[in-house]
Amino acid sequence: MTAPGEEQQVSSGFVRSYVITGGRGLPDAEDLSLVTLVTLAPDRQPPPNPSPEVKAIWELCSGGYLSVAEVAGHLGLPVGVARLLLQDLHQQGHLLRRKAPPPAQLVDRKILEEVLHGLQVRFG
Amino acid sequence: MTFAQGPLVWALVVVALVAVGAVLRARAINVKLRRNHAELRQERDALLHQRDELHVVHNTLLQRQSAELAEVRKDAEEETKAVLKAAVRTLQGLADEQQVVIEKAQRKYGDDPGILADLMAMDHANSQFGRRAQGIAVLCGGWLGRRETVASVFDVARSAQGRIRHFDRVRVNGQVNFSVVSRAVEPVAVVLAELLANATNYSAPGTPVEINIQAVPTGVCLIVDDAGLGMGQEEKDRAAALLSPQAAISVSSLGIPPQFGFAVSGMLAARYGFRVSVDSVSPYGGVRAVVLIPDELLTTEAPPAAPAEAPEAALSPAPQGRQPDQWQARAQSQAQPQHQAQAPSPAPAPTPLFPPAPQPDTATQPLAQITTTAGGLPKRRRKSPVSAVPSTEPAPVRSNEETASRLGAFQRGTRSGRDTTTTEGTEFQ
Repeated sequence: MTAPGEEQQVSSGFVRSYVITGGRGLPDAEDLSLVTLVTLAPDRQPPPNPSPEVKAIWELCSGGYLSVAEVAGHLGLPVGVARLLLQDLHQQGHLLRRKAPPPAQLVDRKILEEVLHGLQVRFG
Repeated sequence: MTFAQGPLVWALVVVALVAVGAVLRARAINVKLRRNHAELRQERDALLHQRDELHVVHNTLLQRQSAELAEVRKDAEEETKAVLKAAVRTLQGLADEQQVVIEKAQRKYGDDPGILADLMAMDHANSQFGRRAQGIAVLCGGWLGRRETVASVFDVARSAQGRIRHFDRVRVNGQVNFSVVSRAVEPVAVVLAELLANATNYSAPGTPVEINIQAVPTGVCLIVDDAGLGMGQEEKDRAAALLSPQAAISVSSLGIPPQFGFAVSGMLAARYGFRVSVDSVSPYGGVRAVVLIPDELLTTEAPPAAPAEAPEAALSPAPQGRQPDQWQARAQSQAQPQHQAQAPSPAPAPTPLFPPAPQPDTATQPLAQITTTAGGLPKRRRKSPVSAVPSTEPAPVRSNEETASRLGAFQRGTRSGRDTTTTEGTEFQ
């Protein structure tokens, strides 16, 4: 029998992701995209006996809008798993979601030129 | 008369002589026979003695032979075990390695539900493979592998759940605020997984298997209930024998296919000092298996931050960068507790993009509370600075009392972390 000192170290994760999802099917990526923002709905009570992950999401999302990717990153879970948990909470009415803000539109070059011209006329 | 007497006398004399001769001869023969007899008797005694000696020798030889046979058997068993152990150790290492690879892949490709589902299936198969390898390793006197960190009892149950085929039939109920000490994390998880495997294998497909976690005066109980047919007395006796700490288990006596769940459980329980019993009946009619984790293997220490942290840290070139930042952010947020303590959750504050979340009164909390939540999960929010560059701002000026109280809190925190029997009050109040 080997001494305890010879034990190999186990480095893999402890709780498997399929246990966290309960073996359920994963939601589509379009449903909650990486950049969808989620936050807690006001005045919600956490579900009874939440799993540690739900508890963590609750605390993360109570601070304001957070993207799905960020939630997954903070939990250290694959995005698909976080998405399923978020979808659950959303379906129970605990979470609000919002589309990511659209990227800033480029202003028309013509307008810029006109403004420049105007400024030059006035001050130049 | 004399003439008449003469021949008669002679005849008598002759007869007497003959008789004397005969008597003498008979005596001589008798003497000879006696001597013979004595000799024979002596010889017989000698032979008997020899026989006894031979008997003794024979017995000792027999004993020696059986002893040698036992020794050879033992040697053979040990050699088998050593070979198996070495082989399985490699497998264990590979299973663990593969698990890490799959985990990384899951995080990398997690956005695609199809790929993630496939990776999860691989993960599931690999977890079961790992458990089998661990079981064989234990039977061969090997080790399970050691985890560096404590894990909550709830997570130990869920980890065990992940190592069996029909994990989706298992439900984990109840949470306690205890963690299992790092050296007992794997053993308890493996034993629980074996019990769950038994429970799911010997009950009808589709019936639920429950794990109930209960705190008892001497520790924490993990109770596994199934709705199967239960065990007969013979099976119960066999299980009890295998689960008893004295059970001597040889690899060759486990049958084909080997049924080593109870043997593994018994060996691990004896080695690490917890108890396993399967002698009660579950309320659903099946078997009730109970794992009792004693206080010595429990701690109130909260499990560490997100499990993802370890591999991430291994990959990133500057793993230390985040931690001090966090502390700093904490320290800064503590500098104005009056503001933050009252801040409502999604406050429509004008400037901060990410309003601070409500915080518990940090002054009264031990330090462990500061980085983790009650559930033992990381409390990391977006408001903490993301940059890895140390802040150049001077540290906020603190009054002496504040510094003292913070040092006190730190001390209390580390003490409470080291001490499992909570020493409330008196000493520190």
